[in-house]
Amino acid sequence: MKKNILIIGGGPAGMEAAANLDRLGYNVILIEKDKQLGGHLAKWDRLFPDGVSAKKTLDALTAELSGVKCFTETNIQSINVLDKSYNAILSNGITVLADAVLMASGFDLFKAEKKEEYGYGIYDGVMTNADLEKAFREKTLPSKAPKAIGFVHCVGSRDEKAGNPACSKVCCATAVKQACEIKEVYPDADVYCFYMDLRMFGRHYEDLYLKAQKEYGIRFIRGRVSEVAETMDNRLLVKAEDTLSSKPLKVTLDMLVLMAGMRPSEAGRSVGRQLNLTTEDDGFFSSSDNMLAIQKSKLPGFFYAGACTGAKTLPDTLHEARSAALEIDRYVKDNFKEQ
Amino acid sequence: MTNILSVTLQAVTPEGIIDRYPNSYNHFVLPFVIGISFILVYLLIGLVRVLYHLSGEDRIKLLKSLFNPKTALKNLKDIFCDCLLHTKIWKRKPLLGYMHSAIAFGWFMLIVLGHLEVYIFAPRHLEGISEGSLYYPIFYRFFIWINPAHETLRGTVFFFLMDFFLLYVLSGIALAMFKRVRSIALGMRHTTKPSLADRVALYSLWAIFPLRLLAEGFTADLSGGSFLTKPVNWLFKAFFGNELNFMPTWWAYSICLGLFFLAMPFSRYMHILTEPVLILFRNAGLKVRKPRKGFAEAEIYACSSCGLCIDACPMNTQKKNLKYSSVYFIRFLRRHNNKKINEIAEKCLMCGKCAALCPVGVNSPDIRRVQRETINNSVGYDYSYLKDYSDKAAAELSDKPRKSGKVLYFAGCMTHLTPMIIKSVEKVLKAADVEFEFMDKDSGICCGRPLMLAGKTEAARKTIEANKKIIEQSGCSILLLSCPICLKVFKEEYNLENIEILHYTQYIDRLAKEGKLILEKKEGSLVYHDPCELGRGCGIYDEPRNVLSGIGELKKAQKERDESICCGYSLGSLTLDEKDRSKIAESSVANLMANAPDKIITACPMCYKAIRSKADVPVLDFAEIISSSISGLKQNS
Repeated sequence: MKKNILIIGGGPAGMEAAANLDRLGYNVILIEKDKQLGGHLAKWDRLFPDGVSAKKTLDALTAELSGVKCFTETNIQSINVLDKSYNAILSNGITVLADAVLMASGFDLFKAEKKEEYGYGIYDGVMTNADLEKAFREKTLPSKAPKAIGFVHCVGSRDEKAGNPACSKVCCATAVKQACEIKEVYPDADVYCFYMDLRMFGRHYEDLYLKAQKEYGIRFIRGRVSEVAETMDNRLLVKAEDTLSSKPLKVTLDMLVLMAGMRPSEAGRSVGRQLNLTTEDDGFFSSSDNMLAIQKSKLPGFFYAGACTGAKTLPDTLHEARSAALEIDRYVKDNFKEQ
Repeated sequence: MTNILSVTLQAVTPEGIIDRYPNSYNHFVLPFVIGISFILVYLLIGLVRVLYHLSGEDRIKLLKSLFNPKTALKNLKDIFCDCLLHTKIWKRKPLLGYMHSAIAFGWFMLIVLGHLEVYIFAPRHLEGISEGSLYYPIFYRFFIWINPAHETLRGTVFFFLMDFFLLYVLSGIALAMFKRVRSIALGMRHTTKPSLADRVALYSLWAIFPLRLLAEGFTADLSGGSFLTKPVNWLFKAFFGNELNFMPTWWAYSICLGLFFLAMPFSRYMHILTEPVLILFRNAGLKVRKPRKGFAEAEIYACSSCGLCIDACPMNTQKKNLKYSSVYFIRFLRRHNNKKINEIAEKCLMCGKCAALCPVGVNSPDIRRVQRETINNSVGYDYSYLKDYSDKAAAELSDKPRKSGKVLYFAGCMTHLTPMIIKSVEKVLKAADVEFEFMDKDSGICCGRPLMLAGKTEAARKTIEANKKIIEQSGCSILLLSCPICLKVFKEEYNLENIEILHYTQYIDRLAKEGKLILEKKEGSLVYHDPCELGRGCGIYDEPRNVLSGIGELKKAQKERDESICCGYSLGSLTLDEKDRSKIAESSVANLMANAPDKIITACPMCYKAIRSKADVPVLDFAEIISSSISGLKQNS
């Protein structure tokens, strides 16, 4: 009889793991709280560093899921540990008896309105990285060309006061990518990036950064934005510090994009609380070993993949999903030999 | 001790009161005499020292206040209520209040009545040291023999009163002993650990009154007694049949008194004698200028080390932070432990709750601020640009036409970080047809309060001067503020003449009362968080509540008004880390949610941010909720 594997979260990590486990011959149940699979990927337009289409990437992931039972708009109502398996009651009334569970709950975007000084939800011209992607996808960018646009890095990341001292890893590259893209839409606009450090660690990321400066003329200002105010003509007055010239700085912008960082998924955490899964100080789940067994939790048969154990890029997430599939396969083979 | 019964008949008064000792002296009074002389000399030297360290200006202020009938009356009232009756403790913790007033007021009455008795019945002994005036009234019952046949009504009343107050004190002592074992029963979660001197003083204090009962009990048949001492006397007679235990008891009583006075200056009990001095200083309007001398020294010795401030401190959510409480700060100051003083001084959030709840009224945050000055009071920045800036800004504002009743709005740095508050204030002012000018719309100068809190008074003076110039030249008559942190410094340090300084809660309350702002009651239940700087700092508690109760149902927090819990984001602390602050914010929110309100309202941008980061219900700024409660109909439109 096929072993049941329950995957919580239908984003890239859950989808990729589901496809691999399906291929390994398991009966995979994938549940997703939203209407559609794909998580944040489904809401994105293009991906750094090469600008590949998010939709194409998602389609490719979806194509592998033919044998997987996917339940969208479904939550875990309750979950508990039985002798050697997990018993989960789903919000659609189905009960799943799983031999192993993979948590792929990913991340929530930091709520940018918490940094009220940046005026998200207060001033019209202020949006988040996700809002901008949506505007790119749905082609709803304002037709009246903005004269000046700013990107604020590290919104809710590396910010103790916002409750998250950690780096969210993807925002630097996303900001540079988005800055180039917006410059393509509005070639005459001045585009600024306000950063603390630029962490262009991946392959081709540095190229993207150089291109942004040389080809797109994006202006990079090292320093944090302190506050945003509205001018008489409803533009945005941004006060920041240029730490390279050690001077305070004021610019008037029409559009300000906040690079909201990654926070642990609230839906994932509520499942974690039912099983007493431990989290680290940053709120993300704690692995049984951060070096050797990042996919393993402290519960036997319960695994992690993707950003539920900390901020990750999409390729990292996909790698982890595949290796989690292998770990699960090994676990099931070791523990259920006699059947 | 040999001839205690050899009563020498001498100095017989008409009432039949006889000195049992011809020279009114016995060796047992020596411990007491040594103790009381020591404490009197110590007190005198201490007083001279404190006065010496006051600035000349303060000394004149003090002198003037003593002769001002109004302050003199207040002094008397405060000394009576605070030092003897302990009304402040009564109000918050009745049992603890009873304990304190029993010991303090009871003892005071025993001393007063004792002297009165001597004054009436043996006035000779008050005439000078040689007549035993130092000890005679204390040990009156030992030295006197009263002919029972001559007992007067007046005498009996005194016997009764003396016994009554002795019983009163004894009940207080019994509570104090019980408190040592179970402090929570008297409403204290944490108390301080007593030092050696504290223990000596404490145990002697405990022993003094039971011993007095015994001692006076032994002599009750000779020198009179009432419902307490008489039965004790009969009991002794029945048990011992003789009076040979008479002397050791009086010796023990005297030794305990002597020990108490000797240990007093080195113990917490010095507060008994220092508090009246502090009251005189405070009522004279003196301020702390040096962290260990002058006024501060009076505060330090007035601290009773009771530890009420440990429970009051918002940092007490974590046990590791208990050591930063004011009582320890004062203790280390007293012991000149510089290393620890600075750490504690910098950690404090300066929320002022310890000072508000202190039964003695020690303003520890003020001493901490002055201590911070000693660490670093340099300017540290180049403020030379301030002059040009303020000249320009002043010119811009004064260019505009002047009208009487002009309102100048100063948002301040913190409000600029919460733009919703600015938008809401603007909306409310517009709805009320208030014309106003925005002093720091695009740029502004810090009010100076954060610098002051950090002990950088010199730097603060520079920004204060620059702002003051702009405000004075603007020709405004009302300075409107949305940040309580600014409000406090504007009120206390700016000396703006003919300009009313108002927080927006006060101004909106006024607009509503004048009918310029009509508000609708459409909100559900609300709870109001008292920001430290607004409530304890400026005494504004009622105005925001007046307005809020007009737009919704105002629920109570568990602790509110001057007991409100700091949100944790106070600018006052220089070293408290985010995790600790976050814990404090959680406890502050839990306190607000005690009665499950629908929304939390506050009136400070810092509190607003802190509470929003922790609360599960909507958190709104005061102006924000008012701006959404404005009725479409206005009286004057």
